Amino acid sequence: MNETSEKKYSLEIFPKEIEELKNTIKTASTKIMEEYIERMRKTWPDRPEEMQYFDEIAKFWGTREKEIVEAREEGKKVIGYTCMFAPIELILAAGAIPVRVSSGLYDPVKLGNRVVPVEVCPVVRSTIGVKMVGLSPYLELSDALITSLTCDGMTKLSEILSDYKPVWTLCPPRLKDSEQSISFWKEELKAVKEKIEKLTGTKITSSKLKSAIERLHRATRAFRRLQDLRKGNPVIMGRDAMLVNQTLMWDDVERWTQKTEKLCDELERRAQGKVWACPLKTPRVMIAGTPIIWPDNWKLPNLVEEANPQGVIVADELCSGDRFLYDPVGVDEWTMEDMFNAVADRYLLPSTCPCFTSEDGNEDRVNWIKARVEERRVDGVVYHVYRGCMLYAMEYMRIKKVLDKINVPVYYLDTDYTREDVGQIKTRVEAFLEMLKSRVEF
Amino acid sequence: MIVAGLDMGVQNVKVAIIKDGEPISYGLVPSGFEPEKAAEQAFKQALEKAEIAFSDIEHVAVTGVGVELAPRVDSKLSIISADAKAAVYLYPSVRTVIDVGAEESRVINCSEKGTVLDFTLNERCAAGAGAFLEAMARALEMKIEDMGMLSLKAAGTVSISATCVIFGESDVVSLIHKQEPKHEIARAIYDALAERITSMVHRVGLKPDVVLVGGVAKDVGFAAALKRKLETEIIIPKNPEFAGALGAALYALENAGGKLK
Repeated sequence: MNETSEKKYSLEIFPKEIEELKNTIKTASTKIMEEYIERMRKTWPDRPEEMQYFDEIAKFWGTREKEIVEAREEGKKVIGYTCMFAPIELILAAGAIPVRVSSGLYDPVKLGNRVVPVEVCPVVRSTIGVKMVGLSPYLELSDALITSLTCDGMTKLSEILSDYKPVWTLCPPRLKDSEQSISFWKEELKAVKEKIEKLTGTKITSSKLKSAIERLHRATRAFRRLQDLRKGNPVIMGRDAMLVNQTLMWDDVERWTQKTEKLCDELERRAQGKVWACPLKTPRVMIAGTPIIWPDNWKLPNLVEEANPQGVIVADELCSGDRFLYDPVGVDEWTMEDMFNAVADRYLLPSTCPCFTSEDGNEDRVNWIKARVEERRVDGVVYHVYRGCMLYAMEYMRIKKVLDKINVPVYYLDTDYTREDVGQIKTRVEAFLEMLKSRVEF
Repeated sequence: MIVAGLDMGVQNVKVAIIKDGEPISYGLVPSGFEPEKAAEQAFKQALEKAEIAFSDIEHVAVTGVGVELAPRVDSKLSIISADAKAAVYLYPSVRTVIDVGAEESRVINCSEKGTVLDFTLNERCAAGAGAFLEAMARALEMKIEDMGMLSLKAAGTVSISATCVIFGESDVVSLIHKQEPKHEIARAIYDALAERITSMVHRVGLKPDVVLVGGVAKDVGFAAALKRKLETEIIIPKNPEFAGALGAALYALENAGGKLK
C-alpha cells in the first residue's frame, strides 16, 4: 500500500541509478516531445494558433504538472487511472483531479523488463519502469489509482502498482449484455465511489454528481465536434487532433473544453474558406488497435503523416483517442440513483474494448469501426498492435474479414516501445499508402 | 527511350534497364558497407552489357530499403509496388507474388494491372527471410547452394520451428547431436521457413497464379518446400532476384511517358 511496506513485485534499485536513469530519460523525452511538436508544425505549416495551448499541456514536467502540484498543496486529491473504464464523473464530483497514468515513454521499458518478461505488452512494462524511477509526474502525484482488470497485462500491472500506491481495482465483466454483468459492474463502481469519497472526505451528493456529469457533457460535445470535423475534407491533421484528444487525459476538463471549442471555431472558419490541412487526394487513414500514448509513441502517426506518399489520419479506434470521450452519460432523471446507473452504463455498454466477448463475436467493436470508416470516408485502416497485446492481436482476423467485405484495405502492423523498427515500419506504411493512393486516384 | 530501375536491397543492389519498351540488361553488386558505390557498380555492369552510357538514361526509379543512398533518384516507389508491377509484366495471369529476400519477405495480392490490392510482410525478425537460411547453413557447416539440393533427398522425418534465427540454430544443433541425417535437417530448415511464408500467404489469401521472386527463389530446396505447403504450382522467373529492379524500371517507363513493346 505504501512505499515502506513489503514489496510483492518490485525490485530494489540503487538511489544513484534511479537518479541517473530519471535524468537521462527525462532529458531524452523532453527533447523528443519538442521535436515531435516541431515536426507536426512542419507538416502543417499553417497550423492554427489555438494548437499552442495543447502543445503546452502536452509537455510532461511542465505547466500542468505545476498546476496539479499546487492544487494538491491546497488539499485537492489526485486520482490516477490506467484504463478508460475509470468513472471520471465520480472523480470530478468528489472534487478530485483525474489523470491517466498508462505510460507512453519508451526508455523505461528496460526497467520494466527487470520485473516482468519482455513478452508482456510495452504499455505495462513502461508503466512499471516509470514507477520504479518515479518518472511520470501524473503517476507520482496520484493519491490513489483506479486500475481496470481488462487484459492480463493490466490485471497484473494493478498488483505491481499496489507496491507503491493504494490501488482500487475495477473488474469489467467479460460479457456486458446480461443482467448479472450490469449489476456486478454497478457494485464494482459503488465500491470505487465509496473509496473516492473516503479519500477526498467528500460525499458525492446528487448536485455534485449532476455538476460533474454536466461538465463532462460539455467536454463530450467539444470532443465530438472536433471528431466530426474530421469527417469532411481535412481541416486538421490527424496527429494534431490526436494530441488534443490525449491532453484531455491530464488537463483540467473545463479549460480543455473551452480551448477545444475555440480550436473548432477556427477549424470551421477554415472549412468555410476551403482552407485544407493537406491536399484533398491524400489517402484517409484510420488507426485501429492498441492505444497510442503520447509522447514517445508518436511513431506511427509520425510515419503516416510524414510519409511519401503522405496520409492523413481521419479517425482512430483507440481508447486513448477517438473512443475516449465519445459517449456521453445518458441521464433520464437527475436523481442520485438514475445518475449513478447512467454513469455505470456509460462505462460498460458502449465500450468496444476487445476484453469483451459476446455470442456475435464482439459485434459492438466491429460496428464501431465500420461506422467510423463510413462517416470519415476512410480509405484504409492500419491495425496497430504491440508485441504482447493478445486481445487486439487476436481480434485482427475478425476485423479484417469485415473490412475485406466492404472493400477497405487493412494493414496489420506490429511494433513495440522501441525506436529500432522505424525503418522497417516506414517501408510498410509507405507501401500501404502507395496502395491506398493508387486506389484513391483510380 | 532508355529508363532504369534501381533496387537498393539489404544484401544486393540491383539494376534493370529498359530500352525501347523492353528489359535489355541487369546488374547486381553486393551492397556491402557502401551501398552508394555498389549502386554505381551495378549500373556500370548493366550499362556495359547494354552498351549505353549513364547519361542516356532518361529516368531512374528507385526502390528498396536504401532509397536514401541511391546515387540518382527521379522517382521512388515501394518494393511492394515494384514487385507487383514486375510480376504482372512477366506473367499477366499472376495475382499472388511471394518475394523472399535477405531480411524481408513479402506476400502481395495484385490486380491484372499490376496494382497492389493487399500485402503483408514478415514480422520484424529475420527468421522469415533468407538470413535464416544463411544462419542455418552455417550451423550445418555447408554452403547454402548445396543445402537446397541436399534437402531434396530427404523424406521429411524431422522438423524444427523457425520462431527466431537464434532458436532455430539451437534446434539444428540438437538435431546434429541426435545424429539425424544432414539431408533431413536441411529439409526441416526449408520446411520451417516455408511454414512462415505460408502463413503470410494465407493471411492475404492465396490467389492463383502464384509467382516466387527474390534471391531465395533461386534456392531449389525452398521452392520445393513452398510447393509442398501451398499445394499449388509456383512460377519462378529466370532472374527472380531482379523483380524489384524490373518493377522500378517499369515505373520509370510510366513516369517518363514511354510505352511497353
